[in-house]
Amino acid sequence: MLKKQLVIGVSIVLILVLSSIFAPLLARYNPNNINIDDALLSPSANHFFGTDQLGRDLFSRMLYGARVSLAVGIIAVGIAALVGLALGCIAGFFGRWVDTLIMRFLDIMLCFPVFFLILAVISILEPSVFNIMLVIGLTGWMSTARLVRAEVLSLKEREFILAARAIGASNSRIIIKHLIPNALGPVIVNAVLSVAGAILLESALSFLGLGIQPPTASWGNILAESKSSLGIAWWMSVFPGLAILITVLSFNMIGEGLRE
Amino acid sequence: MTKCNDGQTDTMGLKTQNNLRLPLLMAAFLFSGYALAQDYGDALVVGTISDARTLVPISASDSASADICGMIFNGLVKYDKDINLIGDLAESWEIQDGGLTIVFHLRKGVRWQDNTPFTAYDVEFTYQKLIDPSVRTPYSGDFKKVKSFEAIDDWTVKVIYTEPFSPGLASWGMPIMPKHLLEKQDLNTASFSRNPVGTGPYKFKKWHTQEKIELVSNKGYFEREPFISRYIYRVIPDEDTLFQELQTFGIDESMLTSLQYTRQTQTKFFEENYRKFRLDSFSYVYLGYNLNLPLFKDKRVRQALNYAVDKNKLIKGVLMGMGKTCAGPFVPESWAYNKDVIPTEFSRAKAKELLSEAGWSDHNNDGWIEKEGKKFEFTIITNQGNLERQRAAEIIQAELKNAGIKVNIKIVEWSAFLSEFIDKRHFEAVLLGWSLGREPDCYDIWHSSKTKEGEFNFIGYVNTEVDKLLEEGRKTFDQKERQKAYHQIHKILYEEQPYMFLYVPDALPVISSRVNGITPAPIGIGYNFIDWWVVKSRQRYKTVMQN
Repeated sequence: MLKKQLVIGVSIVLILVLSSIFAPLLARYNPNNINIDDALLSPSANHFFGTDQLGRDLFSRMLYGARVSLAVGIIAVGIAALVGLALGCIAGFFGRWVDTLIMRFLDIMLCFPVFFLILAVISILEPSVFNIMLVIGLTGWMSTARLVRAEVLSLKEREFILAARAIGASNSRIIIKHLIPNALGPVIVNAVLSVAGAILLESALSFLGLGIQPPTASWGNILAESKSSLGIAWWMSVFPGLAILITVLSFNMIGEGLRE
Repeated sequence: MTKCNDGQTDTMGLKTQNNLRLPLLMAAFLFSGYALAQDYGDALVVGTISDARTLVPISASDSASADICGMIFNGLVKYDKDINLIGDLAESWEIQDGGLTIVFHLRKGVRWQDNTPFTAYDVEFTYQKLIDPSVRTPYSGDFKKVKSFEAIDDWTVKVIYTEPFSPGLASWGMPIMPKHLLEKQDLNTASFSRNPVGTGPYKFKKWHTQEKIELVSNKGYFEREPFISRYIYRVIPDEDTLFQELQTFGIDESMLTSLQYTRQTQTKFFEENYRKFRLDSFSYVYLGYNLNLPLFKDKRVRQALNYAVDKNKLIKGVLMGMGKTCAGPFVPESWAYNKDVIPTEFSRAKAKELLSEAGWSDHNNDGWIEKEGKKFEFTIITNQGNLERQRAAEIIQAELKNAGIKVNIKIVEWSAFLSEFIDKRHFEAVLLGWSLGREPDCYDIWHSSKTKEGEFNFIGYVNTEVDKLLEEGRKTFDQKERQKAYHQIHKILYEEQPYMFLYVPDALPVISSRVNGITPAPIGIGYNFIDWWVVKSRQRYKTVMQN
């Protein structure tokens, strides 16, 4: 049963990733090409997903938008996982005041409602793809760090670590060669699950106008633009909405599948 | 009044969209007979994108603030429905010495909303504050030409100008402030800005920042008590949410976007519950360049940008055709508008030619033009919540991309937009609108002396000839002569392209059909607000007892 979940999740994500990589081949139009005369056309053989108010082909925008949304999701989580892994290992391995320092800092970070923290930071920085990845990443490492620390605390008392120590392995060697590979499992599960969260976060930010700036398409800002034509152009909101839903769902399925 | 326009606030029809607005003309109210039995009561809830910034009327430079101030305060004069100046707090006036002197005879028996009598000394006080350099006001320019101001007695004031000043009379549409409350206060910080007292038809009740401002009718208003008991100004910083609110009766009045007007309100529901209007907006939308930057110093570059953007695309794509082309700093209805200035035809070839003359061309074939190794790139900022402006920016971006110019777009929340970017000149190019008064004097926008922080020439436009013409246009009362000056200004500004003039949108207010008494006129619809009324049986809000 769970295996099935994993397979479905992976295949959908794979399809999404491939279609976003090959977006230039699949898209029939330039996603930013404005053609006023074709504004708000409903889905047809020419425009699979219809067009937006500026006459841009929604299908093409969705494909290119997938690049942004997936890239933000994956890279942001990558950043979060790296930071979390590093800090978690250091805290767990060295213990004592290092541990206290890192964990209290982590507690402080957890006190902020992440979304509002991001809003504040983005309004100070310029909202660009890079900044959004960075900010989502740097505000999402806490759960990973906790996981890793707990894992390391138990691992470092195990015989093989003692053995490594006995033959004179250095701290960094123990951490990199022995602790990290063994702590990686839960980190990966956690990361896959957080990709879904990061994609949602990017969509939310873009929806509020603080995310990816025009004309670059992302699912969130396509959705935001659809608001103004809610009653007359259902395709503007349905397709990006579904895309976000399906993507988030598949990442969750993979995460759940891996956890088993 | 010229006001900075966020493209939505304008609710009263006569003032348009969130622009910065030129002096003259706060909501004008026309006295009219009321033989019919109109009902009192009910509230009118107006939905708007942006909150007011200050209710000190002489500092109010945005539409939202001016709308509210227009309800609370009166000037000495105002415009009637046919755009003629008539008395407001002044009962009559005489113009003497060929225009050098104006003597105003004030209305007697007018009381401030705290029941203190209104006198000529309040007018004197307001004048003193307008010319006080320590007071932040964008309107001082109109009053600098006053040589002497004298309150002859409680109900007569005499204004003498150093030279004939044609916008002089109209400039006294500036709201008058109460001396007894403000005398000992610093206007820039006074609590009055959030708790104003005026002479107008509505009294201030409360203000929840970024949420709503509530006004209640002034029973002692000198014309008479308005029929509608409460005026509630709800801040909803998103035009789609505003539209949803109309559908759920959360608001009674708002401005429609052209998409909403043309495509989304053709329903039975809207026909039954709302009245839509399509009015001249007396405003225009422009792309202003920060002329202090080397990038925009060259006139040819600015002209090229103008050639490179197809304005018809903007009108079609952004306004769904609900607007006109704009080829200069006046709206086409104005007598100041120079019909001989022909808007340039869109021509990418011409744009490229001008750019290469100015040294910009694509040397490295990367699709972007460069000069001395530097790519032509700039950022357009505009205010949030206004998708029409955002779309306009996107169209300009796409058009300029075709000319090899890279444009970034940055969308900023309205109050931060004004205070952090416009006032401090932290921008490269700005997409914004102006709401203009009926008086064509646009000294505050274009004169080289108006470039200080908080003033309206924030693009830093300096042209001695325009300066001279602006001064001339103010000096003569002969409309022919003035027209000549303004036509010339129009011609120079279009030639020089300190702004890329984009379009003149139509104002598209929508008001609940339960409101009676609305009669559109050349000036708009808001001029007779005190005559608007709702039949008792259709009243939606209970009248709250006033204290």
